[in-house]
Amino acid sequence: MPAPASPGRLGPMPERPAYVLVVGGGKVGFYLTHRLLKAGYEVALIEKDRTRAASISAQLGSCSCLVGDGDEMAFLATSGIERADVLAAVTGDDEDNLVACQLAKWNFKVPHTIARVNNPSNVQLFQRLGVDIAVSATELILNEIDTALANNSDAQRLPLEGTDKGVIRLTVPAGPAVGHRFSELAELASEQLLLLLRDGEPVGADTELALGDQLVILTERPTADFQLESAAVLHPVSG
Amino acid sequence: MKVLIVGCGRVGARLARDLSEDGHEVTVVDMARSAFERLGQHFPGRMVLGNGTDQHVLEEAGAAEMDWFISVTNGDNRNIMSAQVAQRIFQIPKVMTRIYDPIREQVYREMGLYTYCPTVVGAAIARTYFEQGAEAADGARARVTGAAGTHA
Repeated sequence: MPAPASPGRLGPMPERPAYVLVVGGGKVGFYLTHRLLKAGYEVALIEKDRTRAASISAQLGSCSCLVGDGDEMAFLATSGIERADVLAAVTGDDEDNLVACQLAKWNFKVPHTIARVNNPSNVQLFQRLGVDIAVSATELILNEIDTALANNSDAQRLPLEGTDKGVIRLTVPAGPAVGHRFSELAELASEQLLLLLRDGEPVGADTELALGDQLVILTERPTADFQLESAAVLHPVSG
Repeated sequence: MKVLIVGCGRVGARLARDLSEDGHEVTVVDMARSAFERLGQHFPGRMVLGNGTDQHVLEEAGAAEMDWFISVTNGDNRNIMSAQVAQRIFQIPKVMTRIYDPIREQVYREMGLYTYCPTVVGAAIARTYFEQGAEAADGARARVTGAAGTHA
């Protein structure tokens, strides 16, 4: 494709805000457009439902909300897509987001394509199929949960005076320890497991560990170390 | 041949029955259990309930061992995505998909999917009938259906 002759496209024109096309006017598309407009971008939102599009236009004002299909090429061609810097496809249907990004990339040479992915196992697939960035809210939240549990922010070490040991309380993270009996785990663990607490109350040695239970552990290690090592303690070697 | 058909509508079900009658090993995927009723009571193939764009569903349907694949759900984008998973992830040797939108059909054909567009085919047959009469239109139909067996 020959470069356009307009000096505005070619020469330095820092005041030209990036043009972002958002496909899909659901909650994600609406708030995304709202924030992009606030940040000073030029934005067009593409929504196929006429009523929904009218409601968005009424709320966002300056935004140009276009009524049409994000995967209809003839329609896309009227949206100024050939000068878009970014296309973000954020409908609730993965297949529609994939196709919108592929058409934008292959036919209109949009430099950055971003797809919302509803089924987290599609993230890698989309990248293999040419989408620049695939974002899964489910995966982001899963990662947050993993991190929150792995950090065990409530692990506190209570030093036992006169010894080099201390007592730690640790929330059971997601992992292989869940479902094991406390007595079983106590035998396998490298640290001395003193108590299992459920809802703050000690429970019997036969109890199977559940997510969110708390373990009280006697250890020589300082808290920081222990957090790093906690995974090993709570991942008994099976068999 | 081992054949995977995604979408058990009129086209998918008919193709599944025809290919099984010809002795092929057919698996059909659809999101609605009721769609499998179109296959009749004596369908010898496998039926898998699930979303045909989902890699796990296709894996369960045996995609890794298939020789032929076709996606004929009622959504163009679903067909396109499913066919790309079949071709790129499971590397099924022959992958075909139906796309109603002629423009999208052309794009994906150029990108390496084998596609067909009932819109183009249907319009061409209608135009042949108007311009050249019934005999010519029948001839055009026979060139396609004649090659595909005679199951009524």
